[in-house]
Formats: sequence, C-alpha cells, structure tokens
Amino acid sequence: MLTDSGFWFVQLLNSLQLSMLLFLLSVGLTVIFGLMNFVNLAHGSLYALGALFGYSIAQATGNMWLAFILAPVCVMAVGALIYVLIIDRMRKAGPMKQVLVTFGLIFVFLDAQRYFWGSDQLGVTSGIPFSGSFELFGEIYPSYRLFIICVGLLVFAALYLLLEHTRLGAEVRAGVDDPETASCLGVNVERTFFTVFLIGSALAGLAGVVAMPAFSAEAGMGVSILVPTLVVVVVGGLGSLKGAFAGSLLIGTTLTFGQVLIPSFASMLMYALLVAVLLIRPSGLFPARG
Amino acid sequence: MLRAETLFKTFGALQVTKGVSLEIPAGIRHAIIGPNGAGKTTLFNLLAGELAPDEGRILIDGQDVTAFAPDRRARRGLSRSFQKNNLFLSGTVRDNLVVADIVARGYGAHFWTRLSDNRRAHEKTAEIAEQVGLADLLDRGVSELSYGAQRQLEVGLALMPDPKVLLLDEPTSGMSPEETGRMLQLIDDLPRTLAVLLIEHDMDLVFSHADRITVLNYGEILMEGTPQEVRGSDIVQETYLGGKAH
Amino acid sequence: MRNLMSFRSTLAALTLIALLISWTNAGYFGMEILAEIAILALLAMSLDLLAGYTGLVSLGHAALFGCGAYAFAVFTAFWGWPPSLSMLAATLLTGLIALIVGSVVTRVQGIFFIMITLAIGEMGYELVFKTRALGGDDGLAGIPRLDLSAIGVDLNDPGVFALALILLVAVCYLLLKRLLASPYGAILVGLHDNAGRMRALGLPVQRYQTSIFAFSGAIAGFAGTLSAQHTMFISPQLLHWTTSGEVLVMGILGGLGTLVGPVIGAALITLLRHELSDLTDYWGLWLGVFLIIAVMGGKNGVVGWLEAGWNALTRRGETSKQSDRSKNDAAG
Repeated sequence: MLTDSGFWFVQLLNSLQLSMLLFLLSVGLTVIFGLMNFVNLAHGSLYALGALFGYSIAQATGNMWLAFILAPVCVMAVGALIYVLIIDRMRKAGPMKQVLVTFGLIFVFLDAQRYFWGSDQLGVTSGIPFSGSFELFGEIYPSYRLFIICVGLLVFAALYLLLEHTRLGAEVRAGVDDPETASCLGVNVERTFFTVFLIGSALAGLAGVVAMPAFSAEAGMGVSILVPTLVVVVVGGLGSLKGAFAGSLLIGTTLTFGQVLIPSFASMLMYALLVAVLLIRPSGLFPARG
Repeated sequence: MLRAETLFKTFGALQVTKGVSLEIPAGIRHAIIGPNGAGKTTLFNLLAGELAPDEGRILIDGQDVTAFAPDRRARRGLSRSFQKNNLFLSGTVRDNLVVADIVARGYGAHFWTRLSDNRRAHEKTAEIAEQVGLADLLDRGVSELSYGAQRQLEVGLALMPDPKVLLLDEPTSGMSPEETGRMLQLIDDLPRTLAVLLIEHDMDLVFSHADRITVLNYGEILMEGTPQEVRGSDIVQETYLGGKAH
Repeated sequence: MRNLMSFRSTLAALTLIALLISWTNAGYFGMEILAEIAILALLAMSLDLLAGYTGLVSLGHAALFGCGAYAFAVFTAFWGWPPSLSMLAATLLTGLIALIVGSVVTRVQGIFFIMITLAIGEMGYELVFKTRALGGDDGLAGIPRLDLSAIGVDLNDPGVFALALILLVAVCYLLLKRLLASPYGAILVGLHDNAGRMRALGLPVQRYQTSIFAFSGAIAGFAGTLSAQHTMFISPQLLHWTTSGEVLVMGILGGLGTLVGPVIGAALITLLRHELSDLTDYWGLWLGVFLIIAVMGGKNGVVGWLEAGWNALTRRGETSKQSDRSKNDAAG
C-alpha cells in the first residue's frame, strides 16, 4: 500500500484539505494577533460555532449553500458581541489579561454549545453539494474535499487582494507593522481592529461550516482544533497572511503524513516542529514585522 | 577604562555606526553629541551589549568584552541608565535599589537568608538614595513618583553596582531646570575613579560639565576634543550647532 | 504596608483554620474533596511561583504534575520501590526534566513562552497517551500510598490522608513564603517586573528563570506523587494543557502573586465544581464566567478584592497605597 501512488495522492489531497481548514482558521487569528497583539483563544470555539450554526441552518432549510453563507454571518455576529462586551473593554488591560479572558470564553462557549446542540456528533446527510466522488489512480476520493481545498485557495486569493489593494488592507498592514505610527498617520485603529476581528470571526465560522459535512459537528471540536491553529500561527509568523498559508501547509502536511508514517506520534511531530521553529526562528517563518 | 575600536553596525541597508572609536580613561566625563539619528543610542547599545557590532572591538578595563552579553558586561563593571525610564514599576524606591544591590553584589541565589535582615544592603540603598536625592522617598511606590524623581532613580539604579564605567543616556531629559541642576551636581560629584560616558542634548550642559566631547553625525565621528575645541570648530558649528538656538 | 502584610498572613491562617474546621466536619466524600483541594493548592502555589511571581505563564505545568504522578506509579507499581523512595525519586526526576525543559523554554518570552510550554506539555501528554506500557488512555491503577504505620499513622484512612495533606500545604506555604522573602525571591519579582533591566544590571536572566522553572516543576511533580497516591489511579488527562489552564484559573481567581490566593482559588474551584456539578451539567460555563469576572474585575482575584475591601475599611488620611507585588517583596 505504501508504494501505491494513488494512496499517496489521496494523502496529499487530505493534507491539502486539512491545510486549507487550518488556513481559514489561522489567518484570522494571526492578523488579530499581529494587529492587536493578543491571542484570541476562543477562536476555535467560533469554528465549532460555525459548524453548529451550519448544521442547524442546513437542517432547517435543507439548503447547504444557505448554511455556507449564513453560518459565517451568525458567527460574525457572535464575534461582534464578544468584541463589544469583552475584548474592547480589555484593550487597556494588556495582552496577558486578554488571553486569560478568552481562555474563560472557551469554557463558556463549550458548555453553551453543549447546552444548545448536545454533546453528540451532528452531521447532515442530504443537500450537500459536490457529494459525489471521483476516481484517481484507482482510489475513490470524495469531491467535497476538493471543494474545501478550493474554498481555502479562494479565500487566500481574496485576502491577498484585500490586503494589497484596498484601503483597509493598507491600514491593516500599517497597523501590524507599527501600531503607533499607524495611529499617528490617521488610521482609525479601533475601527480597523473591529473590522479585522469580524472578518477573522467570519472566516473561523466559514471553516467550521465547510468542515461540517466532511467531519460532522460537535461541541468539543473547537478545543481540539485550537492547538494546531495556534501552532500554525506561531510557526508561520505573527500577523502574516503568507505565514498563515505556509504554516498551514506545513502543519497540515506534517499531521496528515505523520498519521500515515508514525500513526502514534503525528501530533508529537507537530509540537516538535513548533519547538524547533521557536528556537531557531523565534519570530516564525514569515513574520509580518521585521 | 572603556575602549571602543572602529565599531561598525548596519541595519539592513542602513549604516548606523561607521568606524567609531572611543577611549575613556577613569575619571573622565565624556559626552556624545549629535543631531537626532546620528547613531548615539545605537552606539550606547553596542557598548552595553544590547546590540552586537558587525566589526570592531570593545574593551572594559583592558578586557575584550565584544562577545559578552549585556549581563556579563555589567558584571565586568559597566553600568548604564536608559533614555526612557526603565524601572521596576511595581515596587517602591527601596525595592528597586535593593534588587539592584542583589544583582550587583551577586547574592541572588541566596534563598535561605531574609532580605529584611541584610543590613548592608539597606545601608547601601540608603547611601545611593541620598546620592540621587531620593532619601525621603524610599518607601514611595515608583509608579507614584514624579517624572523627575523616576529619572533620578534611573540613575540611582545604574550607580548601585559601583561601576567602573557608567553610561548615561540623556540623564536630564524631561527634567525641570531645578532637577537638571541637581542631576548635574550629582554627575559632578561622582567619584573620580569612574569613567562616565553620557549622551546629552543640552549643549550648555555638555560644554560646562564634560571633559571631552565626541560629535557624531550619520554614524561617523565628526570630531573629538575638549569643549573649547568643539565649540570652536567650524564643521561642528556648521553641521550641528548652526541650526540650533543654543 | 505592614498592615497589609499581616492581612495576607491572617488570610492564610484563616484559610488553614477553615480547612481544618471542614476537616473535623467532613464525611468520606468531604475528606476526598479536602485531599483534592490540598493537592491542587500545592500545584497552584507552584504555578504561582512561576506565573505570579516570576511572570512566566506556563501552560505545560500539568505535564510536570503528571510526570511526577506517572514516575511515582512506575517506581512503585512496576518496579516495586517503596513509596517514600519513589516520592523522592519522582520529585527529583520531575525537577530534572523541568530543568532541561526550562533551559530551552526560557529562551523565548511572553506569548511565545505560553506557546512553547503548551507544545512541550502536549508532547508529554501524547507520549503518555500513546504509550501502552504506561496504560495509554486507560491510565494506570494499583498505586500504593506511603506507609507511615511505623509512627502509627494510617494514610489509607481518608481522614488521616486529608489531614496530612492539609498540614503539608501549610508547611509548604510557610517555606515558600520564606523563600520569597529572600534575595532570591526579590530576584523573581524583579524578573517579572522588568527582565530587561535585570539583565542590564548584570543578572544572567535565563539561568534564574530556568532555576525557578525547575524548582516549581519539582513541586508540581511532588504534588503529582500525592495525586497518584490520593486517587490510586492516574490517567493522561493529568498532563493535558487544559489541566494547566484550570490550575492557572485557580491562581487567577484566588489572586496570582500572593501565595495564599492559589490556595483559596483551589479550594473555591474544587468546592464549586463539586457543588455545581450536582446542580448543573454545565460546570465549565460557570468556571468560564468566574474567570472572566475575575480578570475583568481588575482586582487581583479574591485576595485582591479582600485587600481592597480591607483598605477601604481601614483607610486613614495619607495611607500610601502599595502595589501588590512590592508587598511581597518586602515580606518577612
């Protein structure tokens, strides 16, 4: 089996698909991190929320496309609520306290999700687009997973254009680069923070709802995805789109192929990678700030 | 006491230190002046070990310390104050000076003695507090001090180790005239065994209190000499003093 | 200032008295809870040394706790060593591992320190989780308790065990308080406040950070040996980063950098967990809410609130306010 090219191709697709999910999650986290200098540990919870909202919307309407659009919007609304109620009020309290507050949010979200959706794995079976599969080198591969890869690539392209060619993008880049100077130059830092936080939340929700048909949804999924996402952010370099993309590919590949080659210690490989990067290049592979 | 030999430092494409050499014997108050961006603070960071030079050597008391980290240079007798107050904000003035004493005298590993029983540390603390004019404020929280008093503590911390070489980065910046006067008196009264290098913006102060002056411009030494020589120099007048009201 | 110092000592004494009073009234389950509180208090105090005093917030502390527990289990259950020797060996082993880990992780700061300790802790968790010889995800059972029958103490009695642990916490508190009143303690606080200036003054910063990481890790390992003896069964969950997080929450809720705060936090969280889990399935929700309130409240946990209240009660004219850590600095 291990010499079978079809098998390896499937693994490659699997790793790409995991990488793209990680990218959708980590890009919001990393830009928030780079811009506002704090880690939103509840970011994974927003991912779970996206999946769960998506599940409910798909169940209610039978339309998965609607879920793809509405779930991120709902998650964005929750993100706005967190921002206004908590994060904005903690702006002056320093990064450490903000991290701790979002740590508390993990617990709150986890149980709130269990309260509303229960603890079981939830999956939709009908109405999923691209539900067919195709054959490659003798292996059957579900088309939907290619769709996930495409969503990730599209978002990367869209964010790249947004960052490089819009006023918001320029403000974000300036803010990540040097917050003090940016605010002196008349960038409305507060508004930029808010917008970026909303976009980051929506992308986490999108990752969740897109992952849901393939992996089902459950309340705990946000906690288990959080750590690989944080690893991506640190390995890729804070605040950098390119870093999030490269980091996602690296970690996605490490996890997928680690699972195949040394099944027991795939995640250890990831942690070892993180430790190595932190020690050799403490600011990550592609840090936004030089 | 402190010697720097042809130091070079570049950041990316920007050359911020170009072949700077200094020689500061014990007892000399040596000032560095130069317009903003002349590379004064970079030079300080090179000397203190916060930055590593691309080329050149730094010697303290004849020993090559170029490869030493800041803490190791400090243990060789180099002490510095910072341009921006760099204090232990959660403590009192006494806490700040005591912790500096612990580091300076190297008894930080003593986990079995009581700090409050250490009479020598408290005497030293009181002495330095007296010297920098903070004797009455010893038990005041640092974050409650006036800016000027914090500035005095900044210098107090640097004096705590009884250094051989003292680097003062704009010790009087932001001080009232009265506070400035006191700080100058303090610098004048420093023991003559000490080599002092200071960055200063106030020209009058530099000319009246420094023994020697180095003028930096764009990372290069424009000239070095006594205050009279520097004041009389045409190049200096042109490139630096000319534009200033001093 | 003296006023407030004695306030904190009084608080510690009151906490001890409260624990002892509940001990005299406790039934079987009460004893179990008290033992759990004592062990978590020890663990939370060790994390306070690191996070509260030295400013090194570690999310890998539970891995060291678990390391002590598993080492103790292996030494006793697998190798047949006596529990006393096993406790000592497991504590030293954990301290040694913490020394090695500490010399690596202290090379990075701030949020990166949190991340790297989390990563290394998770590596430990995965290692135990996946190692069949250590029971994997089933954990290990059949762990003996220390045998003190020679001096007429039967630790297999839940009440005796709980009392022994409470007294151990008291002794540990006093020793650590003494440690913090030493020059070494002042160095820790200085490192928290301004590590850069400590370096400029001549302190080999990383060496000191490593030393406290190792020491704190050894205490965590010691607490782990007690936890293994308490439940006589251990699982990889002990090492998980969320366990570190919960212990950190105890510290924050009680008041970091106060030594007595983590004890109070451990007691509160453990009690609330047992009380609330009878009433609600959603214990985590409450834990999260408490944490958010504690952090957003702006005061330093329960101890901070009590001190503020005490200050307000006793305020006279120009009583000068001292910040939290300076009080510790001058303690003793």
